[in-house]
Amino acid sequence: MSRQRLQDLRLALPLLPTSTVGSFPKPPELAEARTRFARDQITPSELESLEKKATEFWIRTQEEMGVDVLVDGEQYRGDMVAYFAELMDGFQTGGLVRSYGNRYYHKPVITGAVKWPGPMTVAWWKWTQGLTQKPVKGMLTGPYTTMDWSFNDYYPSRHSACLALAREIRKEVETLIEAGAKIIQIDEPAMSVRPEEFPFAIEALHILTDGLPAYFITHSCYGAFETIYPDMLKLPVHNLDLAISNSALDLLRLFEKDPFTKDLSLGVLDVHSHTIESVDRVKERIMRGVGVLPADRLWVDPDCGLKTRTPKEAIDKLRVIVEGTRAVREALAAGRTIRPARAARAKASA
Amino acid sequence: MELTLTSAGSYPRIGDAPELQRHRRAYAQWERGEIGTEAFRKVENEVTAEVIREQIEAGVELPTDGQVRWYDPYSHLARGLEGAEINGLLRLFDTNFYFRQPVVRARIRRQEPILLGEYAAARSVSSRPVKPVLTGPYTLARGSVLEGGYPTFAALAMAYAGVLAEEVKDLAAAGAEVIQVDEPAILRHPEDLGLIREALTRLAGAKGPSSLVLHLYFGDAAPLYGELQDLPVDVLSLDFTYSPKLPRLIAEAGASKVLGLGLIDGRNTRLETPEAVFPILDQVLPKLPTGRAYLSPSCGLEFLPRDRARAKLETMRRLRDAYLGGRR
Repeated sequence: MSRQRLQDLRLALPLLPTSTVGSFPKPPELAEARTRFARDQITPSELESLEKKATEFWIRTQEEMGVDVLVDGEQYRGDMVAYFAELMDGFQTGGLVRSYGNRYYHKPVITGAVKWPGPMTVAWWKWTQGLTQKPVKGMLTGPYTTMDWSFNDYYPSRHSACLALAREIRKEVETLIEAGAKIIQIDEPAMSVRPEEFPFAIEALHILTDGLPAYFITHSCYGAFETIYPDMLKLPVHNLDLAISNSALDLLRLFEKDPFTKDLSLGVLDVHSHTIESVDRVKERIMRGVGVLPADRLWVDPDCGLKTRTPKEAIDKLRVIVEGTRAVREALAAGRTIRPARAARAKASA
Repeated sequence: MELTLTSAGSYPRIGDAPELQRHRRAYAQWERGEIGTEAFRKVENEVTAEVIREQIEAGVELPTDGQVRWYDPYSHLARGLEGAEINGLLRLFDTNFYFRQPVVRARIRRQEPILLGEYAAARSVSSRPVKPVLTGPYTLARGSVLEGGYPTFAALAMAYAGVLAEEVKDLAAAGAEVIQVDEPAILRHPEDLGLIREALTRLAGAKGPSSLVLHLYFGDAAPLYGELQDLPVDVLSLDFTYSPKLPRLIAEAGASKVLGLGLIDGRNTRLETPEAVFPILDQVLPKLPTGRAYLSPSCGLEFLPRDRARAKLETMRRLRDAYLGGRR
């Protein structure tokens, strides 16, 4: 039971902790500064001061909205894989590849043995945690997704590339924990794309997390969870963060058949829509979760990073998440709860 | 043994060097309204000629037009249909590429030939025959949202088959000797083999004297291999990169059709070596009754940077020549 792990780590979180998946939009002046930095028109310290200003803005915003577990908003990152690939040894920047329409990106290439270059995210984590009393999550891109989103010129197989990455990324996890991080999120959006490879995605996360004292969350998206469920429960993490907002509402039906045994972050908001969901819609989605799992095993968040929204949309989305969650907490406290489904109740002590 | 080198479909339309980014710049100017559609089409034609030349220089004997004009494998065809609209972005299988999803709201109908003009343009600038490539009816239906016009998914797949049969007929009449139909989606839905057979029968009925290739990729074809032999196509082209068991299976079961061997990984930059490819050719080629086969990348090359795409094709030629040379 993962509440125990939170207690062991002396993390006092309310029922249905609210959080976000990681990224927030960059303010226009930061986006512009990143372009100018790429052209050598401003110095690293000029860029960093804007990144810090934006990070502080998002920390204050999350606090004001009443979010329980905070993120740094990734104001200093571009692409979630390229950021780490550019820092780690063994990668080179690849040539341009089209992602859609007229959009192209540089896909990283593994050209040698991958190697942890020393702390990559720890300084940012420490600085951000210093701004707030609330817990800030450590945020890393997982080994499977890093492998899948890179070309591999070096390792004999996708499997061996993935495990090599896991061994190096573990050093970042250890360093974050030494610095004081208690909640660490490992993003694996690619996790479900090749079900036949899922066993080694699990193997890699074992390498990353085994024996380490933190509360681990894995975020994934892009659906198709039915192809890796219930194997998904073998992931050695405490909390799985999954999109519940759109098509995957059926996910909860899977859990009625094979009970979900971990904590679940309900991704109740569609980050790819400009529309702000109503508080009632959020409430209803959380209540669906409460109908399947005990409330003390649920977290609430959007279904993905908010970086593609405008700052105003991101803030409005945060507001409905927090208000919807509060309303459900009150309803539960008043005893107006939905009875858990039979299967989940039977396994609730797992 | 004859081993014909062919491309599998798409080819990168830009490279990293500034002079190879003409298409990207023109696209951006066209989107901003700085150049007109005619000017942009001219750039598309020039880039098409360039990628055909590049494939042939790299050794390809049956090139494609690189699908330079295709926004993606779905919306390019659906845009030309009455009854279909184009929706938001969706991930293409297990790639980092996104396509726009067709939404079918009413019965679909072709307003005019969709690929014929592109094929004729490609043919006119190519020193070799060009292979037109179509996304197949089953895969198109799988990637579409069905909101009206047809009662079931199967009915939609058959409606797409009707439209694509007209395309095949036009292409065959224009002289296409080989026409390729891509059906990656069937590998994830083996239960629909009956439906895809029915849909391909419509296309086969329209092909005339041309040779119809069924290309399957982004999945393991081994579990379906036996049943695929019975489909109404002339060539069965398979992605070997997902399929460690496929060479042995072919060695054991043989093949009743001409095979396309997708041995060159179109999704990864690492170049294939004789050590990796020759043993598979040793296993497979003696079992092919026809005495000829195609060798190709596993899928379209647009998932690679331009210089690597070319290097893949050059590697393919080197391997083929070394293999056949060594056997003589």
